[in-house]
Amino acid sequence: MSRSAGLLCLVLVLIALGLCAGPVTAAAVTPTQVSSATGAIQSAFASTLSAEKSGGNTSSLVAQLNAAIQLVQKAESENATEPAQAAADLQNATAIAQSVMAESPSVGQAGSAARQTTEATSVGAASVIILVAALTYIFGGRAYRMAWLRTHRDYVVRPANG
Amino acid sequence: MDKETAAIALVLITVLAVFAAVEPILPANNQPFSELGVLGPSQTIGGYPTSAVTGHPFLLYGYIGDHEGLSSFYQLLVKAGNQTTQVSNSTSAQAPVIFSYSHVLENNQTTTFPMNLTVSSSGTNVRLIFELWSYDTANSSYVYTGLWNQLFLNVTSH
Repeated sequence: MSRSAGLLCLVLVLIALGLCAGPVTAAAVTPTQVSSATGAIQSAFASTLSAEKSGGNTSSLVAQLNAAIQLVQKAESENATEPAQAAADLQNATAIAQSVMAESPSVGQAGSAARQTTEATSVGAASVIILVAALTYIFGGRAYRMAWLRTHRDYVVRPANG
Repeated sequence: MDKETAAIALVLITVLAVFAAVEPILPANNQPFSELGVLGPSQTIGGYPTSAVTGHPFLLYGYIGDHEGLSSFYQLLVKAGNQTTQVSNSTSAQAPVIFSYSHVLENNQTTTFPMNLTVSSSGTNVRLIFELWSYDTANSSYVYTGLWNQLFLNVTSH
């Protein structure tokens, strides 16, 4: 058999194998996979809520969570027609949820520090106000009279009938 | 101004100033609540469909608001019931779910979203029940908020 005939046979065999294999299809995502992605989002929400309770600004985390939720809803709707895309969307949703879980502790810590600063400022300001009020009550009259005397020390008092 | 009047004025000014100083750390929301609304196809309260055809989607809009003082993970469920289906502020309906929508809202945020609904069985006075659920992180499950709404439809097969 010549070399070209051998090549032709190889090509024919490959074509036949291709025809026998039929169209390549991806497996549809299972309810377990959807449940797993949803569970990851729920855990990420719990982590986000904890960060928010610590005083953190969780706006970006909430936006990411909603993006993950949309991906899961998209995966469910396209599962019958585009299973490969649905599987990819679920993976992305899980990855986003994991990212949110990883970010939320630092957001919570930053919020906690900011809250402590705010509390310290408020309590400090209130304490100073009360202290100033007490000092004003105790020494205000004397301070006013001393100030009045200081500003009027050069005044000459003459009797009205003098 | 006599001494008593000055003292009273000083106390008033002090109380107001202290309140202004601690206001940022006072709890903001004492009466937390959520909102649920169902809007017509033009995103208004009105123009609701009174009939539908089985298998043919029709459009409504949902409205959710969060005033709980914290972020909430809501789930809106649309169930297809009938006139005997029991639903109340404390009991959710036992009926098949035909649509669900999930969304996380921050405090004082609202969202409006489309709902393409399809009813699979025909009948008169088919009752669409809209329920709002909220994810409870303590129990790791959704909890019925007690908020619900309904829409009656005459559903024909063609």
